[in-house]
Amino acid sequence: MRGTLRWARADLRAHRGQSLVTVAVVGGVVAALVLATMLLQGALNPWQQLFARTNGADTLVYLSAGTPPGRLATLPGVRAAAPAYDAAPATLVQGAERSPVEVRGMPFGRPALSAPLLVAGGWLRAGQPDEVVVEASFAAAAGVGVGSRLLVDGVDGTSVGMRVTGIADTADQGFYPRWTPGLIWAPRALLARVEPAASETSEVVGLRLADPSAAGASQVSQEVFDSYNGAGEGSPVERIVTSQQVRDSMASYDRLLGLLLALFGVIALVAAPCAIANVVTGRILMGRHDIAMLKAIGFTPGQVVRMLLAEQTLLGMAGTGLGLAAALIAASPEVVRPPDGIAVTFAPLPGTWTALIAAGTVIFVAAATAIPAWRARLVSPVAAVQPSPPRGHLSRIARLSLMVRLPAALVLGARDALTRRLPAAMTVVGVAIPMAMITIALVCWCTIGAFTSGPGRIGLASGLSVYPGGLTDAQTTALIATDPQVKGCYPGSEFDTLLPGDNGTFVARALGDSAQPYPFEPVAGRMFRSPYEAVAGQGFLDLMHVKVGSWIDPTVDGVPVILHIVGRTLEPDDNGDVLDFGLDALAAAGASSSPMFYRVVLRPGVPPAAARSRLLALSGRRLDVRAVADPAARLGVMRLVIGVAVVILALIALANLLTATDIGLKDHVHEAGILKAMGLTPRQVMATLVVAVTIVTAAGVVVGVAAGLAIAPRLINAQGQASGIGWGIAAGLSPAGVAALLAAALAVAVAAAAFLARRATTARDPLATSPSPATTLTPT
Amino acid sequence: MSDAPVLLAARGLAKVYRSGGVSCEAVRGIDLEVAAGEFVAIMGPSGSGKSTLLHVLGGLEPATRGEIWLRGRRVDGLSTAAWAVLRRKHIGFVFQFFNLLSTMTVADNVELPALLAGASPRQARKRREELLADLGIAAKADAAPSRLSGGEQQRVALARALANEPSLLLADEPTGNLDSTNARDVLRLLARAHASGQTILLVTHDAKIAGLADRVVCLFDGMIADDAPVVPGPRKVSAIQDFLELRG
Repeated sequence: MRGTLRWARADLRAHRGQSLVTVAVVGGVVAALVLATMLLQGALNPWQQLFARTNGADTLVYLSAGTPPGRLATLPGVRAAAPAYDAAPATLVQGAERSPVEVRGMPFGRPALSAPLLVAGGWLRAGQPDEVVVEASFAAAAGVGVGSRLLVDGVDGTSVGMRVTGIADTADQGFYPRWTPGLIWAPRALLARVEPAASETSEVVGLRLADPSAAGASQVSQEVFDSYNGAGEGSPVERIVTSQQVRDSMASYDRLLGLLLALFGVIALVAAPCAIANVVTGRILMGRHDIAMLKAIGFTPGQVVRMLLAEQTLLGMAGTGLGLAAALIAASPEVVRPPDGIAVTFAPLPGTWTALIAAGTVIFVAAATAIPAWRARLVSPVAAVQPSPPRGHLSRIARLSLMVRLPAALVLGARDALTRRLPAAMTVVGVAIPMAMITIALVCWCTIGAFTSGPGRIGLASGLSVYPGGLTDAQTTALIATDPQVKGCYPGSEFDTLLPGDNGTFVARALGDSAQPYPFEPVAGRMFRSPYEAVAGQGFLDLMHVKVGSWIDPTVDGVPVILHIVGRTLEPDDNGDVLDFGLDALAAAGASSSPMFYRVVLRPGVPPAAARSRLLALSGRRLDVRAVADPAARLGVMRLVIGVAVVILALIALANLLTATDIGLKDHVHEAGILKAMGLTPRQVMATLVVAVTIVTAAGVVVGVAAGLAIAPRLINAQGQASGIGWGIAAGLSPAGVAALLAAALAVAVAAAAFLARRATTARDPLATSPSPATTLTPT
Repeated sequence: MSDAPVLLAARGLAKVYRSGGVSCEAVRGIDLEVAAGEFVAIMGPSGSGKSTLLHVLGGLEPATRGEIWLRGRRVDGLSTAAWAVLRRKHIGFVFQFFNLLSTMTVADNVELPALLAGASPRQARKRREELLADLGIAAKADAAPSRLSGGEQQRVALARALANEPSLLLADEPTGNLDSTNARDVLRLLARAHASGQTILLVTHDAKIAGLADRVVCLFDGMIADDAPVVPGPRKVSAIQDFLELRG
């Protein structure tokens, strides 16, 4: 044991660089995995992190005014109850735009449970009776910022002026505007002005539950109803909102992002084992001389295996710890501040997941060590690694090449690369896998690029939605037409429609008409051209079990509409459960064809926010103008993630390359001396080594990129298909992009090979000193 | 042959290498006995199987046929692990090219076998200090092996081999890679070890070195061609005295 420790310590000290590579690769992989999972969680469910950071309530109970809330805290399953806040419904008035809001009366101190998380400005202050804090997603939708003045109408029509002092996030709210009204936190006195009748307010009580799972929450809900005498008419319990409900409403917030991030996770999962296995194997293969020697002085094969396993596992554990620490630091709110409102954030990872990733990595390192360690077990103490002489398969070609005066370095390097099979195979595989992953990541990048440069492909051609508000349809269209920034304006209506059999809903959307259809870009079939044609998202086709070419007769707005599906569009919203047709289809079926809103397509380069302000100003704030969620903004974060993934993968590829090359070159040190003795100049010797490495690396790069290009579109499309967006979402990498990728990879490989080869050729001439240990134990 | 008990015995020992269907018999049926405290040199031309015999006797390679007895115990059937344990306690190796562990300091190289055999770090250090001082390289304890001259490296290798006071020291051309001065020093140290009772089996192709041994075994084509004790050569002065005595 002591001997083993002594050797391990000396070995780690002597191979600091390699040990650091192992730790760094394992750390990088763990950090990438943890960050990917956190991002994935955060992207699929940004709410979860908000819930943790705001100490969100597990359940919110709305009681009618005057109900004593005290008994809630004593119910079984309830750990704590927050003080009750009064709340009243009201309406935010912005010109013609009227948005329902809930005004919640708050104390001047920040509450402990469900504490709103300020993202801008400050909290309510005593002595400022008209200051309010507005919920962030609502503020973004309403175009409200710190310092804005608001006009809020109470239910009885009283108008109250307010000034925004802060913008805050909360986990109490479901997805705005589909799920909840806007939320305004106001001083209690201000609430009393909005709703003077105390009997019209509600009391909101946040509960912390012993068991916050769905089952626990539903049990407590039942207890609440029971304790206030039933849930029927006249019950003081108005409604109960559980955190599960809120979370579910937020979960589908950004499917596309989640989709691409999931892909990133897959990349990390595949690249990680490859990188770890390669580094660990390389490390052990390089130590075989010493292992042979250790056996000669009395190490048993079992001791050698245990020693290598322990050493590498320790390095793996160090790397895992480092990776976890790096990931946690990178994801901490102090380092990464979420942008205004809800954007992609890192969700806190449950401890079990972190433990699982850490344990999985350490086990993997041990497993990756086991195979080479087993080989080390079989290393004979006498026949220490004997570089197997090149078998001479190419000697005829080599002779011929030298005869036609090809450079000796090229010929010898090529021969070398192709005759040393194990290092060659290790390099090819070690480089090809990360390169394939990098290619996949870049195809993801291009897919996102295609969305941002042509949002029409995913049905997001329009930058603004305009609701007529106080204007007639004619006035609205005329007003929009006067704006030179507008490229096109398409009237539309949207209906949540029941599926046949009432077992679900889909969105039936009339946009434009068949003569002037909205610029959808179907990926299969064609655009609708008559009032009897429609295009649909993949989710809808799957729901209805129909295909492009089928006829359907859904009941839209109470009227059966007969439609021929002629194309399939990429539809990122509503799980792709969307059917699009012209407004004239509704007219043809006898339904009302007056539009509910207008989709405005802006000229390229016009920012939607600027166009929105302009239209609002033109209409004297009588129009209700909303910016359509900008795919570029949310996908920008994704590009950052892909960028990080590419860097990590490139480092993994480089680590693999260096390990494999180092092993190869170690075998060459003796040979380099012989080549020098034969009359090759040091530069020629170096060129030989560089050529040998470059040929193998080039093979790995080409194989990897080709595999990546073949796999990536299928993978992305399959993900799209599974999520309802549909097949055809992937964009290709341009030939110039492929060429640049190949060139960059090869340049790095040549540089790395040149660095190592230089070291190998400038090392002490082995012929002048002692032979490599490989030759020392051979029989006389 | 001395009257001391037999430490090492080989009976009908053979080693056959097989490669690609061709077999090559490096050692063919060797019978050999080495008594405790004896210094035996194995001589022979290149390719005669000297090193192979030494490796097989030290368990670095398995024998193809025959028996090996060490300290009265048959050891040829031992597993690799059991051989390793046997080596760390009873057999010390010195190689032509020193074979020091490049990643360890001189001190660690010498202490490692002792630690491996279960000595405490204190005991291992004490033994190492004694050995290095004895071999005149105490000052180099913290140096890396690559910083030492060939002679110094071989002394470290010798110290390592003697760290556990092995019953048997196997030396494979220990001076083959050294200049004459260093070679003489190493031989002197071997002779000193022998004088203190160390059993040594040494492979060499140098008759002068073999002359230091008690007995020389000559190998040819993997078989023992000659096995004879070394007779001290007639000394000139004593020869004249003898003559005078004879005459007188």
